[in-house]
Amino acid sequence: MSERPNDEDDERERITEPPAAPREDDAQKLDQPERERNTDPPSVPRDDDAQKQDQAASQSTRKTKKKAAAAEPPPKEPEPPAKEPDLGTRARAWATSNTDPLIGGGIAAVYVAWLLATARSLGFSRDEGFYFTAAYDYKRWFALLADAPIKALERTSIDPIWQNNHEHPALMKSLFALSHTLLHDRFKVFEDDSTAFRFPGMLMMGLALFVTYLFAARAFSRRAGVIAAITLGLMPNVFYHAHLACFDVPIMAMWTTCIYVYWRSEKEGGLSWALLAGIVYGLTLETKHNAWMLPAVFLPHALVVHGRAISRHAAKSSRIPIPTSLVAMAVLGPALFVLLWPWLWNDTLPRIQEYVNFHVHHDYYNIEFLGQTYFGPPSPRSYMPVMIAATVPTISLVLFAIGAFDRARALLARLAWWLGEAWGRMLAWPKAAPEKDRAQTDLLIFLAIAVALGPFVLPRTPIFGGTKHWITAYPFLAILAGRGFDLVWARLALLLEKRTTLDATKRIAAQVVVVACCFGGALATTVHSHPFGLSAYVPLFGGTAGGADLGLNRQFWGFTTESLAPWLAANAKPGETLYFMDTAWPSWQRLIAEKRIPETLRGVSSPAEAELSIVHHEQHINEVDYNIWTEYRSSTPAYVLTHDGVPIITVYRRARGHR
Amino acid sequence: MPLVGIVELVLHVKQTTSDVVPASDWTAARDALTTEARPDDLVIFAPFWVDPIGREQLGDELAGLRREARPDESRFARAFEVGIRGAHREELAGWKKTAERQIGKITIGTYENPAPAKLRTDLLELVGTDRVTVSRVDGASETACPFQHGIGQPGGLGVPQGPAVPGDRYVCSSGAYVGAAVLHALDHHPHLCLFVSPSGAGTLRIRFAKIVFGSALHGHSGVQWVNERTPSAERITVAFSAFDRPIGQNVHRVGAGWTGFEFPTPELAGQKGDLVAEVGAATPRSYCFEADTRDVP
Repeated sequence: MSERPNDEDDERERITEPPAAPREDDAQKLDQPERERNTDPPSVPRDDDAQKQDQAASQSTRKTKKKAAAAEPPPKEPEPPAKEPDLGTRARAWATSNTDPLIGGGIAAVYVAWLLATARSLGFSRDEGFYFTAAYDYKRWFALLADAPIKALERTSIDPIWQNNHEHPALMKSLFALSHTLLHDRFKVFEDDSTAFRFPGMLMMGLALFVTYLFAARAFSRRAGVIAAITLGLMPNVFYHAHLACFDVPIMAMWTTCIYVYWRSEKEGGLSWALLAGIVYGLTLETKHNAWMLPAVFLPHALVVHGRAISRHAAKSSRIPIPTSLVAMAVLGPALFVLLWPWLWNDTLPRIQEYVNFHVHHDYYNIEFLGQTYFGPPSPRSYMPVMIAATVPTISLVLFAIGAFDRARALLARLAWWLGEAWGRMLAWPKAAPEKDRAQTDLLIFLAIAVALGPFVLPRTPIFGGTKHWITAYPFLAILAGRGFDLVWARLALLLEKRTTLDATKRIAAQVVVVACCFGGALATTVHSHPFGLSAYVPLFGGTAGGADLGLNRQFWGFTTESLAPWLAANAKPGETLYFMDTAWPSWQRLIAEKRIPETLRGVSSPAEAELSIVHHEQHINEVDYNIWTEYRSSTPAYVLTHDGVPIITVYRRARGHR
Repeated sequence: MPLVGIVELVLHVKQTTSDVVPASDWTAARDALTTEARPDDLVIFAPFWVDPIGREQLGDELAGLRREARPDESRFARAFEVGIRGAHREELAGWKKTAERQIGKITIGTYENPAPAKLRTDLLELVGTDRVTVSRVDGASETACPFQHGIGQPGGLGVPQGPAVPGDRYVCSSGAYVGAAVLHALDHHPHLCLFVSPSGAGTLRIRFAKIVFGSALHGHSGVQWVNERTPSAERITVAFSAFDRPIGQNVHRVGAGWTGFEFPTPELAGQKGDLVAEVGAATPRSYCFEADTRDVP
């Protein structure tokens, strides 16, 4: 049985917290933190820990008020009913008490709308094609479940359907299926099947932005939250993946949400947050296998937060108390994992074993890095850092570096102080006691980044997925970038205060201008990258052409085929055959079904059968290029699709009589 | 800090507008080279990644298969390097630049080969003609492998797919074949060469008739990238002979990449006769070679 450790230090901290007035978080506008900051000594940014104390005090005060209200005797005579506030007043009151969810939700909504607006022009990757097929199958099972539940639960109904794509858990594909059923079939919200399939993935991106905002806003400031969300949203690679009916952005969202809920459970305590952590962890496991790495985030963190209490308790009672949230995750997580994945309902252990084996012994695919194609271990250790530097806008990385330095310094200060206390001899630094953070937020953020990135410095980790495989680190990178911006703005605000006499409105405008200057490049790069998001490299690396110069991967999984549509429409004759190369069959079929490319074309699986053949440019795919030369006896393309002057796809046309 | 963002924006605008080579520059480059380049000149694009655009824009006349999938540059006396972004091809490193001009964003450099070879016979040009015969040799028995016009097998969906099996090829009864196709070499460059498929226990004998010999037999050998990328102890041998005398044999080590060989033949220079190439037994890899007779400076 679990119990929350009786951390006496925690209790003492709670008791000794200053009885500050409730922080009017919810009533604050976006600029409120600046006003607050201006009351601090101008050269020193308001410490985030003070905000945390404020929040804790606010919660403490709210609780006290509630208790006091409960203890008050009821009035002897009912007072005349107060005048019912009008709708506008109530709406304003609701909005002011839900400011953070509204801001986060607003950012998420705008972003999802942006994704929807651009979805039609982005072709389908190989994986999407397979997941479309799986989702169609799962739809049949859900229909059966609705019509004949008993029959649906029989093995003969489950296995034939759920064996499709059983190397990945069921949550997202189930959501793709349900979204298609509801938003395409029933309510006809989306005309394209693919958009209905993709929509849950887009919503997951919205969730990632929402939680990233909330996390940064609660950990640091509302401004940091907004900047964190902007940072995460304006990464070309993330923008690309956010469109897809795949699992990478969903696991990013769930990874972040799970850590956020765990963090809240640590801060708030109580069974509700702990249970929620367990449920969210189960959903995260059900999203993608990255979730199995999350204990490497939680366990060290919990050990640091509760270690002293655990050891004290264990010494007294010879029992090891485990935080309730961890117990909930350990129990509910795997339970939900099995419960939500019908494939595991039969032959559970062998199928789990098969699932584990698939990912532990995953094939290596080809990926180009600095002019060399890697196809097996050892993977280059510089791959991950170089690819992050090459694909994440530089401003985001600079702000991250500032924020990370600040939080690492705070973390080290706490560690040094703790060591000094433990040894009974204070170290030379820090001079004064650092602010306490009972939830060890900084440590949690650094662990979330380290665990997501850590595997990619190991030589046996496949790197074929490019940046998407460590995409779970990005929300936390963004959160620290938000903190970095806070610090930068504090300095700028000080300068403005010294050299100008801006009123509050103009100060807000100045802040908007600074944000625009900072992120204008990232916005332009992200917008321009579409629909070639994987070809996009940041301006510091020379953009798309710079990536080609450096020998960095230009694309994978054949999603760019749709971008040939205008040329095909103008140049392909009805009934002509086209070899579509790296695009998967189901993806090709969807392109045709949705008339994204001329439906009169016939797809074929070999240049030998094709009048037109295409090559998606990747270094190892030169093989296909040269094979087409052999087959067509010509190396002269009919057309080269480019992005910023860099070849993306080459099209060849068979000369008449050459067969 | 906002300066970082502004610099990023300015660089982005530059990279996506003024840095991109417009089609009109390519057209102008093509027009310039069409009047200037001779059939025996090399046209080469820099950097290598712009090659598809160069081939598309300059067309088969200037950037056809023979130039693009050349075995090396030694046979060309002159080269035009069509470059963008200040890039240069290392293949021309030892060549003398004699001219350079700018056409919009494209730089065309003219280079002279300090020691061009004069080709007497390029064996690949004989493939498919009656001057080439292929046979499979098992001990004392020799079985002809007739030339057939068939359907090519250039691979399917997905990679790696191995080299294309050309439609036009010499087919042996064992299923082995010999045919000209483009090799995807270890350095990812293309080379047109003569693929010799596994022949089991036998040897594949390729006889090139009426060859004019020069002072050397020059050639290359390689294995398709997908096989060559994993070095092994495997060796593949091609032995050349003429007038019933051995000229030399090249042993290809899997993992070495596209490598050259040259056998001096001064005693044969100017003579005309048959050249025989025999590729050793059990070549389980996608082995490919090419050769020519030439006069070396």
